[in-house]
Amino acid sequence: MERGLPRYSLRPRFGTIAKHAVLIVVAVIVAYPFYFMVTSSFKDTLEAIRTPPTIFPNEFHPENYTDAWGRAPWGRYFVNTIFVSVSVTILELITACLAAYAFARLKFRGKGILFTVFLATLMIPSEATLIPRYVLMSPSRVACAGLPCLGWFDTYQVQIVPFIASAFTIFLMRQFFLSIPNELADAARIDGAGHLRFLWSIVLPLSIPALITAGLITFLGSWDAFQWPLIVTSKPDFRPVQVGLSAFRQEAGSSYHLLMAASTFVVAPIVLLFLVAQRYLVQGIARTGIRG
Amino acid sequence: MAAEVIPTNVRASPRRRLPIEAMQAWLFLLPAVVILGVFQIFPAIAAFYMSLFKWDVVQGAFRGFGNYSDWLYDSSIRSPDFWRSLSTTFTFVIFTVPLEIALSLVLAYLLFQKMRGRGIYRTIYYLPYVTSFVAAAAIFFWVFHPTYGLVNDLVGIFGIGPQRWLDEPSGIFELAASAIGVTLPGWLAGPSLALVVLSLVTIWHFLGYQIVIFLAGLSNISQEFYEAARLDGASERQLFTKITLPLLSPTTFFVFTVASIGVLRSFDSVYVLTSGTGGPLDTTRTVTLLVFKTAFQQAQFGLGAALAFILTLVILLFTLIQFRVLGRRVNYG
Amino acid sequence: MRMKAGILATLMLVTAACSSQAPAAQQSTEADITLSGPVSVTLWHALSGPQQVALDAMVKKFNDTNGKGITVTALNQGNYTQLYQKTLGAIQAGALPELAHAYESFVADYMKADVVVDLGPYKDSATNGLTKASQDDIYKGYYDTNTFPQYGNRLLSWPFTKSLAVMYVNNDILKEIGKPIPKTWDEFEATSLAATKKDASGKVTRMGFAFNTDASYFNAQVYARGGSLMAADNKTVAWNGKEGLAVLQMYDRMNKNGSGYSPKSFDYQSDLATGKLAFFFSSTSTVPFMKDLATATPFSWSIANLPQAATDPAKAKTVQFGANVAIFKSTPEKQLASWLFIKWMSETDQSAQFASTSYYMPVRATAANSQTLKDYWTKVPQGKQGFDLIQYSSPEPNIRGQQDIRDVIFNMITEVITGKSAPDAAMTTATTKANQIIKDAQ
Repeated sequence: MERGLPRYSLRPRFGTIAKHAVLIVVAVIVAYPFYFMVTSSFKDTLEAIRTPPTIFPNEFHPENYTDAWGRAPWGRYFVNTIFVSVSVTILELITACLAAYAFARLKFRGKGILFTVFLATLMIPSEATLIPRYVLMSPSRVACAGLPCLGWFDTYQVQIVPFIASAFTIFLMRQFFLSIPNELADAARIDGAGHLRFLWSIVLPLSIPALITAGLITFLGSWDAFQWPLIVTSKPDFRPVQVGLSAFRQEAGSSYHLLMAASTFVVAPIVLLFLVAQRYLVQGIARTGIRG
Repeated sequence: MAAEVIPTNVRASPRRRLPIEAMQAWLFLLPAVVILGVFQIFPAIAAFYMSLFKWDVVQGAFRGFGNYSDWLYDSSIRSPDFWRSLSTTFTFVIFTVPLEIALSLVLAYLLFQKMRGRGIYRTIYYLPYVTSFVAAAAIFFWVFHPTYGLVNDLVGIFGIGPQRWLDEPSGIFELAASAIGVTLPGWLAGPSLALVVLSLVTIWHFLGYQIVIFLAGLSNISQEFYEAARLDGASERQLFTKITLPLLSPTTFFVFTVASIGVLRSFDSVYVLTSGTGGPLDTTRTVTLLVFKTAFQQAQFGLGAALAFILTLVILLFTLIQFRVLGRRVNYG
Repeated sequence: MRMKAGILATLMLVTAACSSQAPAAQQSTEADITLSGPVSVTLWHALSGPQQVALDAMVKKFNDTNGKGITVTALNQGNYTQLYQKTLGAIQAGALPELAHAYESFVADYMKADVVVDLGPYKDSATNGLTKASQDDIYKGYYDTNTFPQYGNRLLSWPFTKSLAVMYVNNDILKEIGKPIPKTWDEFEATSLAATKKDASGKVTRMGFAFNTDASYFNAQVYARGGSLMAADNKTVAWNGKEGLAVLQMYDRMNKNGSGYSPKSFDYQSDLATGKLAFFFSSTSTVPFMKDLATATPFSWSIANLPQAATDPAKAKTVQFGANVAIFKSTPEKQLASWLFIKWMSETDQSAQFASTSYYMPVRATAANSQTLKDYWTKVPQGKQGFDLIQYSSPEPNIRGQQDIRDVIFNMITEVITGKSAPDAAMTTATTKANQIIKDAQ
């Protein structure tokens, strides 16, 4: 610290200002679209399309929100999205922890090959497998060449089950488990603890930041899912908010103020969640020790 | 198999414990193997099967690798489309990834230092990442609106005339040159302004995520290196170039690989921002969009599946080259 | 054992008897059965907003009153493109709904999988069909567009949400510049230019015309200029003649002199409503949206036919579009139930009611003359203005590959209005591509 003292003269202060200037400019650019979305959502039809746009609404029209909310079954959409996202997140963490533990701590033949196959699934663009995945969900035996088809259209499981294992999360958890010292495992084995117990009582408590990170990433992916739910659901009873927002974009036409109001309430919950949880996210990524 | 089962209560020697451990391992892996197998690997095999047939709405004649050769060189309609979309895809990577990495690295470096408001900056930078592309598209559609968009007012301050942004098929170099009265040859036109806007939106979306990864990488660098260098009288810039950059290279490499694969595979962003068209004038039609169009607009599922596999191979090859060329230069400290 | 054999023999005899009778009862197969129990059918559609509300009301009424135990469930599947993509997926999955809202070119693609029911026998069925008088009451153009030459001239879909390509006019602007609604293309171009205003800095503040890059409006203009879209043998396109080129040249001129501009998505609607635009071309189904805007900002607007090349009004032409409904092959009962629903929808009362709530066109003459529609048209004169043009409308091609050709036309227009290509060069490239697509799709 003493060594650093001379640095706290005029020059570093100038440097600090410059740094802040850079950070602020980028922050304004990044945040502007959100500001635009929120302010526009309070404008009336005509003010919303004024050029150049007004920085602040001349008149506040909070009724845009009730108007937009009343035009589609948003309540149902939200319930669907929340149920699907929470289910996917919990189940995916379970499968990922089990698999990651096996990859990180257990010896078995074919480990290398299996791990490569898992990682390879990350390379295949999802459009390539869209048709076969869709057919798999159909109720028709003919389409599946006589195999039992799942018949899952218009259900929750069609939006949940295919996503409860992810090579990415397995990889993430494996990296974390590898960083847990071997001595702990040896100590546990002396106690006669089985792998499941060791995983449950020692590894998992140590991995909470990583679990939160992986969970948040999964939750986010599920919350933002669009293409798959669009094609496998036909009824609003099972459709998520993103599909609802996309349909609303078509319906709102040039009523941009309503579209912005709907966008705001679709984006808001997930933003709030991340405001609360971001500390864990950053810690989690840091501790997972992602390395090339 | 049954003969090998050993009662668990028998204390086995290390050599004989292995089969049990292997069985446990497979038990642990079972849920993931089943799910990935049924919903990822099996559909991939099925898609490969489809790619070997003429599949025009319904299954037709077996074509072997005919669909593949149509894309690569055989068909006068398909192969120009493929090569063009491949070049669009790589242009998209080139105009996105390096800038994204440079920007997030610099911002992470600034944020890593003790300063006021770190948390606020980080939170703001992270916001776009949690915003779905469906919602982002609704916003950007309007921000880059040719008539009402704010960006036109913004560039107007710098004396640049209104642009069509996402509707502009002309190359950016071509536009810049024509602004000063120069006409460029076609091959120098550069990516369309629309594609550059897509790059900017992609950077906007992923910036916060990359910053977090870089912050993690920075925190892994031991402070001792910096202290030792300071003792030797190194300047701030030297600290950055001689210590931070080299020691951060594994993280940079990771970010580079992941970001490149992400852009090569990107679909949602292009799809929603161009209303599914890959326009204007197909200048933003990436390979994934061409796959989608072939399968779901032309009902040519065989050709679509073949194209998807070609793309997968391209991604694989690209990643291998990255590991070969860049991976070697990474300093694992 | 013997008993079983006996039953089998009887069954075979009956089967043989039935099949020997078949020629005599050729028309009286699936289309003539009667429903014995409750049947549920699902309709996939692409209607949203007020139009979805209108359809739901009709479906509810049908379910409540059909008396045959038929239940129709109408489900929105996104926009037309998403609906089409889902239906293609459903063909692969063998999970088609019983009915789907579809453009003609969609039906041509679905037919490739042979999943579409031929409606001819249903229409003519003595028990379940329409009488001759009732058949003739439906506009002939609607039969033409749903009859597919490449599939043996079969009737594969039925008129459902029909509309027309028309010109929307801001009357206030025309009044200000003292011009009438243009009747010819030259007048249209001159009036658009007269309506254009620039501020002191040279920035255009009011435009004459909003370019529409959608192929349907290019097609409408080709018709209105006296051209045709396809060669007689349906093997090559015909929009590449002098009429099509004239459309592109006009766009090019209007782009250069600032009287035309490219709107983004539905902006042209609010632009016209806020007095920033004099004309746009759109479907008659845009009426409800304009009506909404007119309540928010009072302005005077009307609908007119597109400008024409022919001076004789009887030779005026525009594009008839809007989508139809197709029935997919399922069980005889479900097919019949589906048919009974779409038949009911096209009957006089229902057609009039749906037209007055959804703003689509009535499908038959008696519906158009009904009191329901007359009352509605007094309230929304633009609806009547649109309807009056129905007699001038011709359908777009219903060949396979039409979806791709639409993209080609879209790109051709974009090339011209972004200044990337001269009209004739853009036309030449587009023609080659379009003809290749038709060749490939056979």
